[in-house]
Amino acid sequence: MPNTQTDTKTATLSELKLEGRWRVVVLNDPVNLMSYVVLVFKKVFAFDEKTARKKMLEVHEQGRSVVWSGLREKAEAYVFTLQQWHLTATLEPDETH
Amino acid sequence: MKRIEVKLALPVVAPLLDVVRELADGLAHNLAAPLGLSDLEPEDRGAWADELLVAQREEVRVLLGLFDDEFFSEGVVAFDEDNAEIIVRACAAIRLRLREQFLKDLGDEVLESSEVALSVLPEPTRRAFMCYLFLATIQELIIEHLDSSILDA
Repeated sequence: MPNTQTDTKTATLSELKLEGRWRVVVLNDPVNLMSYVVLVFKKVFAFDEKTARKKMLEVHEQGRSVVWSGLREKAEAYVFTLQQWHLTATLEPDETH
Repeated sequence: MKRIEVKLALPVVAPLLDVVRELADGLAHNLAAPLGLSDLEPEDRGAWADELLVAQREEVRVLLGLFDDEFFSEGVVAFDEDNAEIIVRACAAIRLRLREQFLKDLGDEVLESSEVALSVLPEPTRRAFMCYLFLATIQELIIEHLDSSILDA
């Protein structure tokens, strides 16, 4: 017999996860070249050269950069694409909205 | 079609390709970069990892395919708009794996600056670091000459 309380909790958590805005955060790694990270940002997010370089330097100097924010589903798709390029990326709730 | 050809010194490159071949097995089963989302449902997580691994295996296959019999007779590899993106990604995956498997003891600062006295490194580390630099050079060449091919693809 299904546990109704647990099912309800799970559903609520899933709904919460899908609601609101999420940030795509790229984390620094010591391996990928700066020029490579710039290329990836231009390719994946269609950033111009200046924005891509600015975001890359944030990753390099601060260890992380928020590169996009929006709905969870699209944010997940961006993390997947960044992973295809072998960058380390994660999501965090965007509490500014 | 824009294309660049690079002449490589076989005695230098051949041992580095052995390093890449050694790593290919690991990259067939393990992602080069850690999977970012910890809160994915296990089923989704598995599906993501499977799809990423298929792509990663293909990248390594294409990279190793550059170094075929013709390469070993002519010493030349060619990059063009058809292979630029997949090769540049393969290099990233292998460099990450090199760090995990051989280069962690060097420290992140050394890896970022690529400045190290090769002569003081033990042989397996030295060979891995040479391979790490070789793959970075390939990436730099492709990004310098073929970035528009990748961006427009």
